[in-house]
Amino acid sequence: MVEDCNIKKLRNNCFRQSKVPGEFMLQLRVPGALIDAKWLDVIKHVCQTWGDGTFHLGMRQTLNAPRIKAKDIPAVNEYIQPYLQAVECDMCDVKMQTKDGYPYIAPRNIMACIGGIHCIKGNVYTQRLAQKLEKLIYPNPYHIKISVSGCPNDCGKGHFQDFGIIGCTKPIYTIDRCIGCGACVRKCESAATRVLSLNDKNKVEKDPCCCVGCGECVTACPTGAWRRPAKDFYKIILGGRTGKQYPRMGKMFANWLTEESVLSIMKNWPKFSEWVLGGKPIYIHGGHLIDRAGYQRFKDFMLDGVNLNPEAMIAENINWAETEYRSNIHVKPLDKHLSVK
Amino acid sequence: MKHAQTYQLTVNEMNEFLEQLSKKYDIYAPVRISCGGRYAKDDSIIYQPINTYQEIEFHERSTYPLKEVLTPITQTLFYFTEDEFKESKSPQKDVLIFGRACDINSIKIQDQIYLQNGGIEDYFYKRIRDKIKFILMDCPEQFEGCFCCSVGANKTDMQSLAVSDNNGSAYVGIYDSDFNNYFAKYSAVDHEIQTPLENELKVDYPVIDNLDLANKLKEHPMWKEFDARCIGCGSCTVSCSTCTCFETTDIVYTQNAHIGERRRTCSSCMVDGFDKVAGGQSFRKKTSEKYRYKILHKVYGYNARFHTGPMCVGCGRCSARCPELISYPATLNKLSQAIKEIKGGVQHD
Repeated sequence: MVEDCNIKKLRNNCFRQSKVPGEFMLQLRVPGALIDAKWLDVIKHVCQTWGDGTFHLGMRQTLNAPRIKAKDIPAVNEYIQPYLQAVECDMCDVKMQTKDGYPYIAPRNIMACIGGIHCIKGNVYTQRLAQKLEKLIYPNPYHIKISVSGCPNDCGKGHFQDFGIIGCTKPIYTIDRCIGCGACVRKCESAATRVLSLNDKNKVEKDPCCCVGCGECVTACPTGAWRRPAKDFYKIILGGRTGKQYPRMGKMFANWLTEESVLSIMKNWPKFSEWVLGGKPIYIHGGHLIDRAGYQRFKDFMLDGVNLNPEAMIAENINWAETEYRSNIHVKPLDKHLSVK
Repeated sequence: MKHAQTYQLTVNEMNEFLEQLSKKYDIYAPVRISCGGRYAKDDSIIYQPINTYQEIEFHERSTYPLKEVLTPITQTLFYFTEDEFKESKSPQKDVLIFGRACDINSIKIQDQIYLQNGGIEDYFYKRIRDKIKFILMDCPEQFEGCFCCSVGANKTDMQSLAVSDNNGSAYVGIYDSDFNNYFAKYSAVDHEIQTPLENELKVDYPVIDNLDLANKLKEHPMWKEFDARCIGCGSCTVSCSTCTCFETTDIVYTQNAHIGERRRTCSSCMVDGFDKVAGGQSFRKKTSEKYRYKILHKVYGYNARFHTGPMCVGCGRCSARCPELISYPATLNKLSQAIKEIKGGVQHD
């Protein structure tokens, strides 16, 4: 007899249904994707004790234990409690009960590249921001996919998230330290947006408007004439997604935000979601909520009460370009339209 | 080191001392620049004017060398109009510079290039050099890649004062009677400020004693790997304590080509365009050739002219700054090996 399982309840508990009836895969959240390596023993123990001994590295940087039997889930939840306490409550300052496992799955694990703690390209400490964002979006019934990348290389694939947050810098140029070698100019040309040039006095000119904020000029400079200011900046790439109907790459929603502005904007996400769904959380991906509301309403909600830093720039409009697996997929009877009525 | 009278001062007393000194001196020291480094959140340490003791960075090697005080990366020499010129402002006060033994020794090499090369004294170098006195910083903690002892740069007698930071207080040694009166109110303590006696890294600095050997080394295959490894950025020479190359440029003011200023700017034999001559010809096209030129100048060319040993004080900055992690000591070891091969008659294709 097939075991009676409430798969929606278990999914919310971060156990994903298997094709084998009665089996589930645990997904441990790792917000910011950096934890003490000692926790690997926890997932190893779960895989070897209640799973089949295999371990899956989750697509969103979760630690996954496949093939867990429904009957064992309470034991697994009890066993992972110290992990939830340490990672969610202590590391991210999330306020939640940990004794019955995860309360929600909708806000997906916040991905992050290794960023400025290791990477020679990174501008910012990605984990630190991811952990602060976790506190804003979790626990919460509204779906959202976020990634944090340390530089505009966007190894966190922010262009395919609801919110792709990308660490940037506004390099400072000290003209008297410049030897006019042109290393930054060549690097900007080969790796970034070609905004630098050497003038007839053998110093550097910059078109600040088109600077992508990658910091390659700083890394290339042999004299420290270019340096990153202490103040970090971020851009937010909005509305990217994968999927069977309307996959699309995100577009720039905001540029040159400080961390404070990013957090202040993201804090409004649950409020916006609640409004779009009329307070009834259903399993629907965050990007579709933006489609239903329309960008202008989204923008109004997300910027509500936000004190933007003076450098901040916000998209007036966004025109996404979707991949339509079926041509004119957006053309349908009026009563099938999902806009907020 | 000759014996000095030593005093122990609190930080407040040091600041009082620096304040008194500042009436007569501009004081420079290595200063930490927050987020000034190459990578995110890394600091840099640069020689800058200071007012207080706490600004001095004692515990980490400066990213950039002491020479910047004497020869800033960009320096205006004079301003010109159609038929007149005006010299740029020369230092008004005397100059005191905090430096480690290697840093102070590097100025001996700078002096040779700027004051004794080809019988011409560089006016703009001399006008500040004549005003400089040094404050020796000791090195209780050495840094990765320091090898001053291998090139004899661990000792100096060029200092007027020596300072040893001692967690909330400072030992000050006096080597120059000009400074005695500042310490009349203190009583001497029994403490000797030491410079390094031994480094963890020991480099058997190669000796190239004749032009024939130098020419054979030019052809040696050891340089080939640097075509792929070295990116020719010049970080090593900019951070080098002893490199002196600069370019001179006339900057004319917009709209009138007869009015402007003459500047000199730090240059590097590692960057493209350094060896470009009239007509557009360049002599060292490959990065390996540039790197070879730099190394052989340090090991051979300089000594062939001045007969005072290597053009290196073992400060380790070039390796510390190389973004491609090319170790200068490792190159010196390869060079020593190549010298052995050549002297032993080994042939390479």
